[in-house]
Amino acid sequence: MKCQDGNRGKFNLLGLVALLAILFYFAPIHFNEENLNFGVSVAESAEPAAEASTDVAASPYGPAPKTTLASYPTIKGINGRVVIWLVAQLHLWFAAFVLAVPIFVFIIEAIGMRTRDRRYDNMAYEFIKVSITAYSLTAILGGLLLFSLVLFYPDLWGYLATIFKDSMFWYAALFFAESACLYLYYYGWHWLQGGDRKWVHLTIGLLLNAVGTMLMFLANSWLTFMMSPEGVNAAGVFAGDIWPAIQNHLWNPINLHRVVANVAFGGSIVGAYAAFKFLSSSRAEDRAHYDWMGYTANFIAISALLPLPFAGYYLTTEIYAFSQQMGITLMGGIFAWLFIIQAVLIGALFLSANYYLWCCMGRSDGAERYYKYIKYIAIVIVGAFLVWFTPHTLVLTNEELKALGGPYHKYVGPFGIMPAKNTAVNLMILATFVSFLFYRRANKIATVSWVKIGNSAQVALFVAGVINIFILGVYYGYFTNTVYKIAASIPQVCTTLAVIVISILIDSFMYKNAKEVAPLKWGRVPERSQYALFLLAVSFTWLMGLMGYIRSGIRQHWHVVDIMRDNSADAFTPTMGFAANVVSIGTIIFLSMVIFVFWLSQISAKKVEPENYWAPEAVDGAVGKGGGG
Amino acid sequence: MKIPKLLQAVLVLAIVYFGFILVFDIILDHVIPSSLLTMYMFFVVAGVFMVYTANEKSAKELVAPIKALVEDPSKKMIRNVVFVILPLLAGWYTYEKTSLSFEAPVELRTIHPAPPSSMKAYGKRYNVLKLENPFRKFEKTDPKKFKELIAEGAKVYIQNCHFCHGDKLDGKGPYAAGLNPTPANFQDVGTIAQLQESYLFWRIATGGPGLPKEAAPWISSMPIWQDFLSEEEIWQVILFLYDYTGYQPRSFGHE
Amino acid sequence: MKNFLKVAAFSLLVIFSFAGFANLGIPKIEPAPPPTEEKIDLGSMTIEQFVGIGEKIYKGKGTCTLCHNALGGRAPLLEKAATVTAARLKDPRYKGEATDIESYLVESMIKPSAFVVAGFGKKGTNDAVSPMPDVSTGSIGMNEVEIAAVTAYLQELGGVEVTVKVPEDASDSAAEDDEEEQRKPFETVEDILDEVGCGACHKVGEDEGEQGPDLTKIGALRTEAHIRASILDPNAEITKGFKKDLMPKDYGTQLYASELEMLVNYLVALK
Repeated sequence: MKCQDGNRGKFNLLGLVALLAILFYFAPIHFNEENLNFGVSVAESAEPAAEASTDVAASPYGPAPKTTLASYPTIKGINGRVVIWLVAQLHLWFAAFVLAVPIFVFIIEAIGMRTRDRRYDNMAYEFIKVSITAYSLTAILGGLLLFSLVLFYPDLWGYLATIFKDSMFWYAALFFAESACLYLYYYGWHWLQGGDRKWVHLTIGLLLNAVGTMLMFLANSWLTFMMSPEGVNAAGVFAGDIWPAIQNHLWNPINLHRVVANVAFGGSIVGAYAAFKFLSSSRAEDRAHYDWMGYTANFIAISALLPLPFAGYYLTTEIYAFSQQMGITLMGGIFAWLFIIQAVLIGALFLSANYYLWCCMGRSDGAERYYKYIKYIAIVIVGAFLVWFTPHTLVLTNEELKALGGPYHKYVGPFGIMPAKNTAVNLMILATFVSFLFYRRANKIATVSWVKIGNSAQVALFVAGVINIFILGVYYGYFTNTVYKIAASIPQVCTTLAVIVISILIDSFMYKNAKEVAPLKWGRVPERSQYALFLLAVSFTWLMGLMGYIRSGIRQHWHVVDIMRDNSADAFTPTMGFAANVVSIGTIIFLSMVIFVFWLSQISAKKVEPENYWAPEAVDGAVGKGGGG
Repeated sequence: MKIPKLLQAVLVLAIVYFGFILVFDIILDHVIPSSLLTMYMFFVVAGVFMVYTANEKSAKELVAPIKALVEDPSKKMIRNVVFVILPLLAGWYTYEKTSLSFEAPVELRTIHPAPPSSMKAYGKRYNVLKLENPFRKFEKTDPKKFKELIAEGAKVYIQNCHFCHGDKLDGKGPYAAGLNPTPANFQDVGTIAQLQESYLFWRIATGGPGLPKEAAPWISSMPIWQDFLSEEEIWQVILFLYDYTGYQPRSFGHE
Repeated sequence: MKNFLKVAAFSLLVIFSFAGFANLGIPKIEPAPPPTEEKIDLGSMTIEQFVGIGEKIYKGKGTCTLCHNALGGRAPLLEKAATVTAARLKDPRYKGEATDIESYLVESMIKPSAFVVAGFGKKGTNDAVSPMPDVSTGSIGMNEVEIAAVTAYLQELGGVEVTVKVPEDASDSAAEDDEEEQRKPFETVEDILDEVGCGACHKVGEDEGEQGPDLTKIGALRTEAHIRASILDPNAEITKGFKKDLMPKDYGTQLYASELEMLVNYLVALK
C-alpha cells in the first residue's frame, strides 16, 4: 500500500516538474510582455502628442455589446439567472473551502514540525484528505458555471472573454499547477516524512497556497471588473492592456476580504466535520481527537472572523470611493435590510462561538473559578448584539406610530445608525476575547510573582479600551460633523486590536510557567457544544451566500457597471425573501454535497473482507502483499 | 433558599421583558416597538439558555425539573395539567396572531431611499452626488451674511414648513396629527444629521411625488416645493434646519 | 445514523429560521425595476436623453475627442466651453455673430475660425484660423439635430442651463438622415483638403499639421498606388516615427471616387 503511494507521489512529482517547466515557459513571456509595455510607455512619454484616447478609439476591440431581450437564450421552465446564481455560489463555497483548507493545513503542519507533536500532522493530513474530493467538485462546478454562463449570458461571456482572454489562459495553467501541488502534497504526505523530506513537503504546501491564492485573485479580478470596470472607455472599448482591467478599484479590497473570510469559512466547515465525527464516535481516544480537532478548527475560524468586519469596512469604504451611488445603494437603499439579516447572522456566529468556548471550559475542573463571570460576558454580548441588530427603520404598528408620533424613536433610534453598531461590534469582539482568555486560563494558575499586577493591568486595559470605544462611538458618532462618523470607526478598531494584542502579551508572560491545576481532558465536552459548531458552519455558509448576493446585487441592472447593461427579463433586483430562499436552497445543496464528501473520506478508510468471495489464493496473495508493504 | 435554575431563568426572562416595557413605555414614555421587542427577547432567551447550559452541572439543574415532570411517576397530576395547558397556550397564541383585527396592516417605508444620481428641478439637471449648498461657504468666509441667510431660511420655514414639521422642527406641527406618514422630525439623530444637503434639496424640491418606488407606499404628502419656493429659498431653509437643530450636514470628503 | 439525522434536522432548522426571518421578519419591499433605456424617438425624448445622445455623438460619430482630449494638446478642452462664452464674446479677437451660449457653441462647430483659443490656431496664422473642420460637412457630416444634441451636451458639461430644445421634427432625426442627403462632390482639391481636414495632421497645401507625415514631397517618395492604398487603408503601412490608428479609416466611404482620384493625382504631383 505504502509502496504504491510512493510511486504515485513520484509520478506526481514528474508531473509537477513538467508543469513547473510549462509555468516557467509562460513566465518569461509574461515578463517580456511587461517589458514591452514598459518600452511603449517610455515611447509615449517621450512623445506627449501621442494620445491614449485614440488608442481606445481605434482599438481593435469593439464597444461592449448592446443586448436586447432576444440576446438571452431561454430554456423553458428554467430561470437562467437562478441557475447561474446557484452554480456560481456553490462553486464559490467549494472554492473557498479548498483554498482555505491548505492555508491552515500548512499552518498546522508547520506547528507540528515545530512542536514535534504527531497529532498536528495527523490532523493536517485528515483535513487535506477532505479537501481532495472537494477539489474535484470545485472544478466540476467551475465548469458548470462557465457552461451556464455561455448558455444563458453569451454576450456577457463574449465581452468578458475578449478582455480577459489572456488571464483566462493563465488561469487554466494555474489550475494545472494547483492540481499538481495538491496531489503531490496529499499523496506524498507519508512518503515525505522526517528531516529534509518534511521540509520539501512543507514547501510544496507553501507552493500550493501560493498558486491557490493567485488563482483566486485572478478570478476575483473578473468579478470586480464587473463592479468597477477599468481599462476600458465609457463605451466599453478595451484599451488592449489587461493589467488595469485586472487591477481595478475593488480588486484588492475583495482579495483581502475573501482571503480572510475563506479561512474563517474553511475553519467552520472543518469544525463541523470534527463535531460530527465526535458525535458519532464512541471510543474515548477518537472523541478526544475530534474534540481537539473541532476546537482547533473553531479557533482558526474565530481568529479569522474577528478581523473580518474590518476587512468589510475597508471594502465598503472603497465601494463608496469608487461610486457613491453604489455605496448608497448598498447601505442606504433596499439592501440596507439585508444588513439587518446579516446582523442576525453575525450575532448567531458570535453567540455560538462564545457558547462553544464556555462549554469547552468544562474540559478542565479548574474552569469552575471562572463560571461566575460567564453571565457578565453574556450580558455584554447580548446587549451589544441588541444594539447591533436594531434596524434604522423600525417596523411599527399604526398604534405604535401614533404613540411615538412618527417613525422615529428617540431612544432606540440612535442605535440604528453606524456609530452605535461600530461600538457594539467592538464590544462583542472584546467580550469574545475575554471568553477566550478564560478558556485559556481554565486549567492553569499563574506562578509569576506579579500576578496581581498583571491581572490589574489587564483589567485596567480592558476598562480603558471600553471607555475609549464608548467615547469614540458616542461623542464622534452623535455630537460632531458626520465626516468623523465613519472616521471614528478606525480608532475604535485600533483600540480593540491594541487591547487584544497587549492583553495576549501580558497573558503569555504571566502564564509562561503556569501550574496546571486540573488537566485538560479532551473529549470531555457536552454534546450540545458540538451543535454550536454546526450552527457556526451553517450560519457561515448562509451568510456567505447572502453577502455574495449583496455584492453582486449592487450592480443592479448592469452586467458591467455603467458599461454593459443587463437587458434580460431578469435584470430586476429580486425581493429579499426570494434572495434568502435561493441562498437557503444553495446552502442545503452545498451542505449535502459536503456531507457526501465527508462520507467519501470515511468510506475510503473502511475495509470490508468478504467471506467466501475471493478465490482462496487471491486472498492470500493480497494479504501477503499488504503485509509486505 | 436557593431558587431552582429553571425558575431563575424564567424570572430573568420575565424581568428583562417587563424591564424593557417598564423602561421604555413608562419611564421614557416611548413605547418599544413590538416587532423589536420580539426579536430582542428571542436573543435574550438564547443568551439566558446559553448561560445556564454553559457547564454540565448547571445544565443538569436547569433541565432537572422538566425531566422530572416528564418522567417522575409521582408528578402525574402536574404533568397532565401542563400537557393540557401548553397546547392551549400555543393555540391561543396562534389564534391571537392570525385572527383578523381592525388594525391596518403594518406598512413600512424606507425613510431614506437611495437618491438618484441626478435630479431635475427648475428646468435644470442637478448632479445630486456633487451638489453643494451654494451658501455653505459663507459659514467661514462671511459669518454675518451666513446669519442673515439663516434668518431668511427661518422665515421661509415658518411661512411654509412649520405647519407640519413643527415650530421646534420635531415633526409635531399643528397638522402633523392628520398625516400618515408623519412629518420628518429633524431633531432626530436619524434624519438630517445623517444626510447630505443635496439629499435635503432633492427631497424638498421634488417632494412626495418625487420619491422613488423603493420608498413605497407612495403616500408622503410633502409638496413639490420647487413649484412654490425659489432655489435660493430652499438652500436657505436647509441652512436653517441645520443651524436650528445644531447638526452638521453629512459630507463624504474630509475637510 | 441517529446522530446524522439529528445534525441534519438541526442544520435544516437553522437554515429555515434564517430564511423565515428574511421572509417574514423584515418588511417585504419590492425593489424598483431597472430604469428604461433611452429612446431614440425624438417625439417623446426628454432633454436628459437628448443630452445623452449629444454625449454619444461627441465621443463617437463627431470624433470630437480625437483632438479635444486631455492628452494630445491639439485642441482646447471643452469642459468649460459653455462657461467661458461670455468672456469669449467680449474678446476683441472674436469674429462671429453669436449672442448667447447656445449660438456661440453652434457657431464654434460650423465656423470654427470665429474664435481660436490662443495657441490652438493653424501653424503660421497667428491663431486666426482654426485647424478644426466644419462639423456639418465632410467626413463628420453632423446634421442640425446632432449639432443641437452636442450643444446641449456641452452646456450640460459646462454646468450651465441647457437652453437647447429637443427638436420636434422627428423626421429629421439623427438615425434616419445619415445617407439620405447626397453631398455635392467637391470641385477642387483645395476644397477636399479643407473639408476633410487633411492639414490638421499633415503638412500639405497651406497647412502644417504635425501628427502625420509631411506630404509636401510625397509624390517623389511614394508611387501612386501606394498613396491611394494609404488613404484607403492608413494602417497598412505606418511611416517610421508616426503612430498607428491616428488616421481615420473611412475615407474610402467618405470620398467619392472622383474626389479620391483628384486627391491622389494632386499628391502624386507634389514633388
